[in-house]
Amino acid sequence: MSVPIPTTTLAPVRVSALAWFAVAVAAALIYLLLQENGALLAGAADFMHEFTHDGRHALGVPCH
Amino acid sequence: MDLTLGAVLRRGLLAGLAAGVAAALVALFVVEPVIRDALVVEEARAAAEPAGAHEEELVTRTTQVIGGMLAAVVVALCLAVVLAVVFAAVRHRLPGGTDFGRLGALAAYGFVTVALLPGVKYPANPPAVGDPDTVTTRTLQYFSLIAAAIAVTWLAFAVRNALRRRDWPAPRAVVVSTIAAVTGYVLLLVLWPANPDPIPADIASLLWRFRLASLAELAALWGTLGLTMGLLLTTRRTPATPATAAT
Repeated sequence: MSVPIPTTTLAPVRVSALAWFAVAVAAALIYLLLQENGALLAGAADFMHEFTHDGRHALGVPCH
Repeated sequence: MDLTLGAVLRRGLLAGLAAGVAAALVALFVVEPVIRDALVVEEARAAAEPAGAHEEELVTRTTQVIGGMLAAVVVALCLAVVLAVVFAAVRHRLPGGTDFGRLGALAAYGFVTVALLPGVKYPANPPAVGDPDTVTTRTLQYFSLIAAAIAVTWLAFAVRNALRRRDWPAPRAVVVSTIAAVTGYVLLLVLWPANPDPIPADIASLLWRFRLASLAELAALWGTLGLTMGLLLTTRRTPATPATAAT
Protein backbone atom coordinates (compact mmCIF):
# COMPACT_ATOMS: atom_id res chain seq x y z
CA MET A 1 0.00 0.00 0.00
CA SER A 2 1.59 3.19 -1.09
CA VAL A 3 0.79 6.37 0.77
CA PRO A 4 1.08 9.25 -1.67
CA ILE A 5 2.05 12.67 -0.46
CA PRO A 6 -0.77 14.88 -1.74
CA THR A 7 1.55 17.42 -3.37
CA THR A 8 3.88 14.79 -4.79
CA THR A 9 2.43 14.32 -8.21
CA LEU A 10 5.71 15.50 -9.73
CA ALA A 11 8.13 13.03 -11.19
CA PRO A 12 11.48 13.23 -9.40
CA VAL A 13 14.25 14.88 -11.39
CA ARG A 14 17.07 12.47 -12.16
CA VAL A 15 20.16 13.69 -10.32
CA SER A 16 23.37 11.93 -11.32
CA ALA A 17 26.37 11.24 -9.09
CA LEU A 18 28.28 13.73 -11.23
CA ALA A 19 25.89 16.46 -10.08
CA TRP A 20 26.67 15.71 -6.44
CA PHE A 21 30.35 15.78 -7.32
CA ALA A 22 29.77 19.26 -8.76
CA VAL A 23 28.12 20.24 -5.46
CA ALA A 24 31.20 19.00 -3.57
CA VAL A 25 33.50 20.97 -5.90
CA ALA A 26 31.37 24.11 -5.46
CA ALA A 27 31.44 23.73 -1.67
CA ALA A 28 35.22 23.22 -1.73
CA LEU A 29 35.63 26.31 -3.90
CA ILE A 30 33.56 28.38 -1.47
CA TYR A 31 35.75 27.10 1.35
CA LEU A 32 38.98 27.90 -0.47
CA LEU A 33 37.78 31.31 -1.47
CA LEU A 34 36.30 32.38 1.82
CA GLN A 35 38.16 30.43 4.42
CA GLU A 36 41.74 30.13 3.39
CA ASN A 37 43.18 31.36 6.64
CA GLY A 38 46.05 28.93 6.36
CA ALA A 39 44.12 25.98 7.77
CA LEU A 40 44.59 23.94 4.60
CA LEU A 41 46.98 25.56 2.16
CA ALA A 42 49.25 27.24 4.73
CA GLY A 43 51.42 30.06 3.42
CA ALA A 44 50.93 29.23 -0.24
CA ALA A 45 47.54 30.91 -0.16
CA ASP A 46 48.60 34.28 1.19
CA PHE A 47 47.80 36.03 -2.04
CA MET A 48 44.44 34.29 -2.32
CA HIS A 49 43.70 35.28 1.27
CA GLU A 50 44.47 38.94 0.69
CA PHE A 51 42.80 39.03 -2.72
CA THR A 52 39.46 37.81 -1.37
CA HIS A 53 39.90 39.57 1.98
CA ASP A 54 37.15 42.16 1.52
CA GLY A 55 34.83 39.55 0.11
CA ARG A 56 35.35 37.29 3.09
CA HIS A 57 34.62 40.00 5.63
CA ALA A 58 31.67 41.26 3.60
CA LEU A 59 30.12 37.79 3.42
CA GLY A 60 30.47 37.43 7.19
CA VAL A 61 33.04 34.65 7.31
CA PRO A 62 35.45 34.63 10.29
CA CYS A 63 38.82 36.23 9.60
CA HIS A 64 41.47 38.11 11.53
CA MET B 1 5.87 17.84 -16.42
CA ASP B 2 9.43 16.66 -16.78
CA LEU B 3 12.31 18.80 -15.75
CA THR B 4 15.90 17.76 -16.38
CA LEU B 5 18.87 18.43 -14.17
CA GLY B 6 20.57 20.28 -17.01
CA ALA B 7 17.62 22.65 -17.37
CA VAL B 8 17.68 23.40 -13.64
CA LEU B 9 21.47 23.87 -13.64
CA ARG B 10 21.46 26.26 -16.60
CA ARG B 11 18.81 28.44 -14.98
CA GLY B 12 20.60 28.18 -11.66
CA LEU B 13 23.90 29.38 -13.11
CA LEU B 14 22.22 32.30 -14.87
CA ALA B 15 20.50 33.27 -11.62
CA GLY B 16 23.81 32.78 -9.80
CA LEU B 17 25.47 35.26 -12.12
CA ALA B 18 22.70 37.80 -11.48
CA ALA B 19 23.00 37.17 -7.73
CA GLY B 20 26.76 37.61 -7.88
CA VAL B 21 26.45 40.93 -9.70
CA ALA B 22 23.82 42.14 -7.19
CA ALA B 23 26.02 41.10 -4.25
CA ALA B 24 29.11 42.69 -5.85
CA LEU B 25 27.25 45.98 -6.31
CA VAL B 26 26.13 45.96 -2.67
CA ALA B 27 29.74 45.13 -1.72
CA LEU B 28 31.04 48.11 -3.69
CA PHE B 29 28.48 50.70 -2.63
CA VAL B 30 27.41 49.54 0.84
CA VAL B 31 30.16 47.40 2.38
CA GLU B 32 33.30 49.10 1.04
CA PRO B 33 32.60 52.52 2.60
CA VAL B 34 32.38 50.84 6.02
CA ILE B 35 35.58 48.84 5.37
CA ARG B 36 37.35 52.11 4.51
CA ASP B 37 36.25 53.57 7.86
CA ALA B 38 37.45 50.41 9.62
CA LEU B 39 40.85 50.62 7.94
CA VAL B 40 41.28 54.18 9.23
CA VAL B 41 40.80 52.78 12.75
CA GLU B 42 43.25 49.94 12.01
CA GLU B 43 45.90 52.35 10.77
CA ALA B 44 45.45 54.62 13.79
CA ARG B 45 46.01 51.63 16.05
CA ALA B 46 49.01 50.41 14.06
CA ALA B 47 50.55 53.88 14.27
CA ALA B 48 50.33 53.69 18.05
CA GLU B 49 52.33 50.44 18.07
CA PRO B 50 56.15 50.34 17.96
CA ALA B 51 57.67 50.63 14.48
CA GLY B 52 58.22 47.34 12.67
CA ALA B 53 54.93 45.87 13.86
CA HIS B 54 53.22 46.98 10.67
CA GLU B 55 52.08 44.33 8.22
CA GLU B 56 53.48 44.36 4.72
CA GLU B 57 50.80 45.09 2.13
CA LEU B 58 50.60 42.06 -0.13
CA VAL B 59 48.02 43.47 -2.49
CA THR B 60 46.72 46.99 -2.97
CA ARG B 61 43.36 48.21 -1.70
CA THR B 62 42.01 48.47 -5.25
CA THR B 63 42.92 44.84 -5.86
CA GLN B 64 41.15 43.86 -2.65
CA VAL B 65 37.99 45.73 -3.65
CA ILE B 66 37.98 43.98 -7.03
CA GLY B 67 38.83 40.68 -5.32
CA GLY B 68 35.94 41.14 -2.92
CA MET B 69 33.49 41.73 -5.75
CA LEU B 70 34.89 38.82 -7.75
CA ALA B 71 34.65 36.59 -4.67
CA ALA B 72 30.97 37.52 -4.35
CA VAL B 73 30.34 36.50 -7.98
CA VAL B 74 32.21 33.17 -7.67
CA VAL B 75 30.54 32.35 -4.34
CA ALA B 76 27.12 33.18 -5.83
CA LEU B 77 27.81 30.86 -8.79
CA CYS B 78 28.93 28.06 -6.45
CA LEU B 79 25.87 28.51 -4.23
CA ALA B 80 23.74 28.46 -7.38
CA VAL B 81 25.18 25.05 -8.35
CA VAL B 82 24.44 23.71 -4.86
CA LEU B 83 20.93 25.19 -4.82
CA ALA B 84 20.16 23.90 -8.34
CA VAL B 85 21.26 20.32 -7.62
CA VAL B 86 19.54 20.20 -4.23
CA PHE B 87 16.40 21.66 -5.80
CA ALA B 88 16.43 19.06 -8.57
CA ALA B 89 16.89 16.29 -6.02
CA VAL B 90 14.12 17.31 -3.63
CA ARG B 91 11.77 19.26 -5.95
CA HIS B 92 9.02 16.63 -5.83
CA ARG B 93 8.99 16.82 -2.03
CA LEU B 94 9.04 20.61 -1.62
CA PRO B 95 6.00 22.65 -0.61
CA GLY B 96 4.85 25.55 -2.75
CA GLY B 97 2.66 24.25 -5.55
CA THR B 98 4.68 25.93 -8.32
CA ASP B 99 8.38 25.81 -9.15
CA PHE B 100 8.59 29.48 -8.15
CA GLY B 101 7.11 28.65 -4.75
CA ARG B 102 9.18 25.52 -4.27
CA LEU B 103 12.44 27.26 -5.20
CA GLY B 104 11.45 30.23 -3.06
CA ALA B 105 10.91 28.03 -0.01
CA LEU B 106 14.25 26.28 -0.55
CA ALA B 107 16.16 29.53 -1.13
CA ALA B 108 14.54 31.20 1.88
CA TYR B 109 15.56 28.31 4.11
CA GLY B 110 18.99 28.35 2.47
CA PHE B 111 19.47 32.02 3.37
CA VAL B 112 18.35 31.45 6.97
CA THR B 113 20.50 28.31 7.33
CA VAL B 114 23.84 29.38 5.88
CA ALA B 115 23.71 33.19 6.10
CA LEU B 116 21.25 34.64 8.63
CA LEU B 117 21.79 32.13 11.45
CA PRO B 118 25.62 32.28 11.44
CA GLY B 119 25.24 36.06 10.95
CA VAL B 120 23.22 36.30 14.15
CA LYS B 121 25.40 33.97 16.24
CA TYR B 122 28.74 35.16 14.88
CA PRO B 123 28.09 38.64 13.49
CA ALA B 124 30.44 39.75 10.72
CA ASN B 125 33.34 41.96 11.73
CA PRO B 126 35.29 44.38 9.57
CA PRO B 127 39.02 43.80 8.97
CA ALA B 128 41.28 44.40 11.98
CA VAL B 129 38.76 43.25 14.60
CA GLY B 130 39.31 39.48 14.72
CA ASP B 131 42.23 38.03 16.69
CA PRO B 132 44.51 36.01 14.34
CA ASP B 133 45.20 33.56 17.20
CA THR B 134 41.56 32.52 17.46
CA VAL B 135 40.77 32.32 13.75
CA THR B 136 40.87 28.50 13.63
CA THR B 137 38.51 28.25 16.63
CA ARG B 138 36.16 30.80 15.10
CA THR B 139 36.24 29.06 11.72
CA LEU B 140 35.36 25.76 13.37
CA GLN B 141 32.50 27.35 15.33
CA TYR B 142 31.18 29.05 12.21
CA PHE B 143 31.20 26.02 9.93
CA SER B 144 29.99 23.55 12.56
CA LEU B 145 27.06 25.88 13.25
CA ILE B 146 26.22 25.92 9.53
CA ALA B 147 26.48 22.11 9.35
CA ALA B 148 24.15 21.74 12.36
CA ALA B 149 21.76 24.33 10.91
CA ILE B 150 21.60 22.34 7.64
CA ALA B 151 20.66 19.27 9.71
CA VAL B 152 17.89 21.23 11.49
CA THR B 153 16.54 22.54 8.17
CA TRP B 154 16.57 19.05 6.69
CA LEU B 155 14.71 17.76 9.77
CA ALA B 156 12.10 20.52 9.47
CA PHE B 157 11.41 19.54 5.85
CA ALA B 158 11.27 15.86 6.91
CA VAL B 159 8.70 16.74 9.60
CA ARG B 160 6.63 18.64 7.07
CA ASN B 161 6.62 15.75 4.61
CA ALA B 162 5.85 13.18 7.32
CA LEU B 163 2.81 15.24 8.38
CA ARG B 164 1.66 15.59 4.78
CA ARG B 165 1.89 11.81 4.37
CA ARG B 166 -0.44 11.57 7.37
CA ASP B 167 -2.88 13.78 5.46
CA TRP B 168 -2.38 16.87 7.55
CA PRO B 169 -3.62 20.00 5.76
CA ALA B 170 -0.72 21.84 4.09
CA PRO B 171 -0.91 25.01 6.24
CA ARG B 172 -0.84 23.05 9.48
CA ALA B 173 2.10 20.93 8.32
CA VAL B 174 3.96 24.11 7.37
CA VAL B 175 3.24 25.77 10.72
CA VAL B 176 4.37 22.73 12.73
CA SER B 177 7.54 22.26 10.65
CA THR B 178 8.32 25.97 10.94
CA ILE B 179 7.99 25.75 14.72
CA ALA B 180 10.32 22.73 14.64
CA ALA B 181 12.84 24.64 12.55
CA VAL B 182 12.76 27.77 14.73
CA THR B 183 13.07 25.67 17.91
CA GLY B 184 16.06 23.89 16.42
CA TYR B 185 17.71 27.15 15.33
CA VAL B 186 17.22 28.75 18.76
CA LEU B 187 18.72 25.66 20.42
CA LEU B 188 21.77 25.94 18.16
CA LEU B 189 22.15 29.65 18.95
CA VAL B 190 22.06 28.86 22.68
CA LEU B 191 24.26 25.75 22.57
CA TRP B 192 27.06 26.95 20.29
CA PRO B 193 29.98 28.67 22.05
CA ALA B 194 30.37 32.42 21.87
CA ASN B 195 32.96 34.15 19.70
CA PRO B 196 36.12 34.10 21.86
CA ASP B 197 37.31 37.52 20.68
CA PRO B 198 36.69 40.57 22.83
CA ILE B 199 34.53 43.06 20.97
CA PRO B 200 36.11 46.52 20.89
CA ALA B 201 33.49 48.80 22.45
CA ASP B 202 35.00 52.00 21.06
CA ILE B 203 33.95 51.15 17.50
CA ALA B 204 30.54 49.66 18.34
CA SER B 205 28.61 51.77 15.83
CA LEU B 206 31.14 50.99 13.10
CA LEU B 207 30.78 47.28 13.90
CA TRP B 208 27.01 47.38 13.53
CA ARG B 209 27.13 49.38 10.35
CA PHE B 210 29.45 46.69 8.99
CA ARG B 211 27.26 43.83 10.21
CA LEU B 212 24.14 45.28 8.61
CA ALA B 213 26.07 45.95 5.39
CA SER B 214 27.32 42.37 5.38
CA LEU B 215 23.79 41.03 5.91
CA ALA B 216 22.60 43.33 3.12
CA GLU B 217 25.14 41.77 0.75
CA LEU B 218 24.12 38.25 1.76
CA ALA B 219 20.43 39.12 1.44
CA ALA B 220 21.05 40.64 -2.01
CA LEU B 221 22.86 37.45 -3.03
CA TRP B 222 20.21 35.03 -1.77
CA GLY B 223 17.24 37.18 -2.69
CA THR B 224 18.40 37.65 -6.27
CA LEU B 225 19.39 33.99 -6.55
CA GLY B 226 16.04 32.70 -5.28
CA LEU B 227 13.80 35.12 -7.14
CA THR B 228 15.69 34.98 -10.44
CA MET B 229 16.00 31.21 -10.46
CA GLY B 230 12.34 30.84 -9.51
CA LEU B 231 11.36 33.19 -12.31
CA LEU B 232 13.55 31.38 -14.86
CA LEU B 233 12.03 28.04 -13.85
CA THR B 234 8.55 29.50 -14.23
CA THR B 235 8.99 31.01 -17.65
CA ARG B 236 10.70 27.94 -19.03
CA ARG B 237 9.09 26.79 -22.24
CA THR B 238 7.03 23.69 -21.70
CA PRO B 239 6.85 21.06 -24.43
CA ALA B 240 3.98 21.17 -26.91
CA THR B 241 2.16 18.49 -24.96
CA PRO B 242 0.06 20.35 -22.42
CA ALA B 243 1.01 19.65 -18.82
CA THR B 244 -1.49 17.40 -17.15
CA ALA B 245 -3.17 19.08 -14.22
CA ALA B 246 -0.49 17.77 -11.96
CA THR B 247 0.60 20.82 -10.02
